[in-house]
Order: sequence, then structure tokens, then C-alpha cells
Amino acid sequence: MHCRRLRRWGTFSSWLALLVVAVGPAAAHGASLGGSRETVSIPAWLFLLTGGAAIGASFLLASLVTDRGLIRAIHGWRRTIPVPGERLLNGVLGLVGVFGLVFVLVVGFLGPQRGEFNAAVLLVWVGWWAGFTATTYLVGSTWRALNPWRTIAERLPSLDRSYPERLGAWPSVAGLLGLVWLEVVSPVADAPGVLATVVAGYSVFTLAGALAYSPEIWFETVDPISRVFRYYGRLAPFAREDGEIRLRIPGTALSETRLVDGLDEVGFVIALVWVTTYDGFVATPTWRSLADPLVSAGMPALVLYLLVLLAGFGLFLAVFVLGARYSRRLAGTYLTVAELTRQFAPPLLAIAAGYHLAHYLGYFLTQAPILAVTATTPLTLNVPWFVVSLPGWFGAISLASVLLGHILAIWAAHATAFDLFPGRLQAIRSQYPYTAVMVVYTMTSLWIVSQPTIKPPYV
Amino acid sequence: MTTDRYNTPANAPIHRCEHCNRPFAEDELLSIHKGLDHAEQLDDEELAAFERAYDEETDELRRYQIIAVGAIVLLYFGLLLTYALI
Repeated sequence: MHCRRLRRWGTFSSWLALLVVAVGPAAAHGASLGGSRETVSIPAWLFLLTGGAAIGASFLLASLVTDRGLIRAIHGWRRTIPVPGERLLNGVLGLVGVFGLVFVLVVGFLGPQRGEFNAAVLLVWVGWWAGFTATTYLVGSTWRALNPWRTIAERLPSLDRSYPERLGAWPSVAGLLGLVWLEVVSPVADAPGVLATVVAGYSVFTLAGALAYSPEIWFETVDPISRVFRYYGRLAPFAREDGEIRLRIPGTALSETRLVDGLDEVGFVIALVWVTTYDGFVATPTWRSLADPLVSAGMPALVLYLLVLLAGFGLFLAVFVLGARYSRRLAGTYLTVAELTRQFAPPLLAIAAGYHLAHYLGYFLTQAPILAVTATTPLTLNVPWFVVSLPGWFGAISLASVLLGHILAIWAAHATAFDLFPGRLQAIRSQYPYTAVMVVYTMTSLWIVSQPTIKPPYV
Repeated sequence: MTTDRYNTPANAPIHRCEHCNRPFAEDELLSIHKGLDHAEQLDDEELAAFERAYDEETDELRRYQIIAVGAIVLLYFGLLLTYALI
């Protein structure tokens, strides 16, 4: 027993030591992900190699933990947290959500038409998409209670039409890709009027859908935003399980398959990962030099952006399914490829969350004070008298959150494999293809990050 | 035979668990599966088969772990040297 504990401790400390060495140098010289990227002062190939090596080493280290009891204990650990006045809290959150929606519409249309100082624009992008989203995976998802459309729709009658089951979650995949496309190609991030129009359109569409198919079906199946937060909530330490709020170790619920029951839902997870990459890729000079000849040859830029969005999603999905195919062969299992994709998709959510935090944490910290100032007088132009700037080492936090997301995903997939396969070596072998894909993916992402940021061209 | 979870090739060896019907490609994997998931339903012979298969796998795992630790050391010093030279 003592020997075993010692060995575990040895594994843990060597892991830590390796992380410090592998991440440390890259982080110190690495690029910051948000807003302004710095040039990397070590050669780019070494920067990429270090990132890839950190992922590969994490897999090797995780594969040394082969004690099923330990893995199960980590993933099964739960504490019930009593929350007094939960009903009241839900009601208050619902009101806050509806107030926020009205605020965005009113201030978006009537407030100052300068995006960087309009409280509606700041509330949507800084308060909600950067700040609130981060709370859904760092703390717990409260979107169900906050969701203003759901609060309104639940007080309206419903036609209760039957939802075509064969569509599954695909409408939410299309919705997510559509929203990201809109975000990239339209000025929703700077023009308050445009943003308010989009929010109004989304509200009408969502309420009409909930009216037709019942709020339950609409927000659980079709609405992409609800699905994003529900999936991110899987990472969080707090969650509602069996009717009570429980505390768990962050990321450990990713080894359960609940939420992902078919290729449609696997598709949504992949889309969530892909859009973070797409977002960064269209802001690189490489993308501009690729797009230049096509646009000058007469291709409409909006179509080009859409095509790349769809092609990239298809590529990511295909690579993931191919990974499952190799995984099946290497593990020598009779589980279907479809079953493997369902089992190994949820761990990817940690990667998406890692990129989200890397992209938006700095943005949130610098912009939140501006949101607070402009929100005091939302209808008149109020230019803040201060600028918040982040210290130089902040880029290291971004880089660390990207790597941490990948490492969490590797661990969750490792735990899933041990749950799925009786053989310990079989479980380890099943992870080879995913690890290879992740190493390539990390290096690609770091390559995007290490490029200077430009405004997406032609839009 | 194709079901939602399992897909067994037509002319491949199938070792099916009599407790939960899950198919396996190797007898050893079936023994380990039964020992892990149906321990209380096994007779002495099956328990012995489980322990034998588990121990055999532990030996294989040991070999894998030596290679994995070697790879980690190689990565570590490889990167360390690269950083020293650049």
C-alpha cells in the first residue's frame, strides 16, 4: 500500500516537473492569445514542438495511471451542496435575464452608436459571451434559469407540435455554425444597431420555435445557445444531478456519455471545438493570402467564409470519426465506431473551454470596467477616463489554459477508456489515434496563435 | 451481427459474456471483463481465469510502462538539449 502511494506520488511529481519544464519556456516567451499577439522570441518550430510534446507527454503520464479503483474514485467523487432559497434564486435569475435582453434591445437601438462604448454591445460580448460563458465551465451552468427566451416562452401557450426526431441535434449544429459565421462576417461586434437587430431577430425566431414545439423541446434540442452552455456545464465543479446541486472534481463528468447520444450530438461537440479554431484562423495573415486570389477571381467573400466554415467542420468531424475507426482497430474491440465517437466526444469540451478562456479572459478583464462605467448612463456617450492594461506575463495564463484544456481532455478520455475496455493495455492503445490527432491539433492552434492578428479581410 | 453498441465481424472469434451478452475478440479480455463487472457471479474456475489473465496483462503493462517512461525521459532531455542549443 505504502509502495503504491509512493509510486502514485512519484507519477504526480514527475508530471508536475515535466509541465514546468515543457510549459515554462514556451509560456515565458509565448504569444498572448487575446487581442494583440506578441511575436514569439523562440523559433516558431520549437514553440510548436514544445506544445506538441507537452500533449504527448501528458498522454504518456496519464497512461501510467492504470489503477481502476483510483480512476473511479476520482471520477465518482461527489458532495451534495445545499442551496437555500433555490426557487427564489431561480426567479431572480430569470428576471435578470429578461431585464438584460430588454436592456440590449433598448440600448442597442437608442444608445450611442459607437460599439466600443455602447453598454449593450459590451454587455453581450464582455458580460455575457466572455464573462458568463466562462462561469458556465468554471463554476456551473446557470443558463437554464437565466435564459430570457425560456423565461418568456414558459409563460406563453404552446402549440406542442411534434418535433421531427430524425433531425436530432443537427439544427443546433447548423445554428451554432450560422451564429459564428454571422459573428465573423457582420459588424455585430461593433455596430450597436446591427447587434440589436440580430438579437431581436434571434428572439423572434426562438420564441416562435418554442411556441410551436414547446419550450422543453426547443431549448433542450434545437436552441444552439442553450446547448453550448449545457455542454460547457459538464466541465464545471457544480452541477445539478438527481435534483440536487452537487460538487465534483472539475472535468470528471466528461467521462460520462450523458448528453451525447448520437452522431448529431458528437457533431455539436466537434462544431464547438472547430469554431474556436475558425475564429482565430480567419484573423491571420495566412488566411488573407489564401483568400486574396479567390476573392479577386470573383468569389463573394461571404460565400468563401461560409464554405471554409463548413469544410473545416466536415474535416474535423471526419478526422474524429477516422480516429474512432483506428481506435477500434488498435483496441481490438467489437464496440461500434459510432459508440466510440459518442464515448470520446465529451472530453473534447475541455479543449473548447480552454480556448474560450484563453481568448476571452484578458478581454473580459480589460473591458469589464468599461462595461460598468458605460452601464451607469447607457443612453448617453460616456467615454471612460481610464484604460486597463494587462501585465506582460498575462499571455502565459492564456497559453496555460489552452494546454490545461488539452490535458484535461486527455485525462477524461483516459478515464473513459478504462471504463469502456476490460484490458488496461487495450484502453491505452485505444488512445493512440486521439493523442496523435491532439498533438497535431495543438500544434496547429499554437501556430495560429503565434501569428499576428489582423481584422478578418473583406468583411 | 450488428447492434447499436456492438458490431462483430462475420468470421472472427467471438467470446460472448453470458451475463451481459457483450462480445469480445479474445478469451483473456472476456475473463478480465467478467472479473471486473460480474465478480460476485463467478465460480472458482472463472475467478482463477480472471486472476491469470489479469496477471499476464500486468506483465505486459510493465513492459509498456518502461517504454512510456523511456519516451518521457527522451522527450524531456530532447527538449532540454534543444533549448540549450538554440
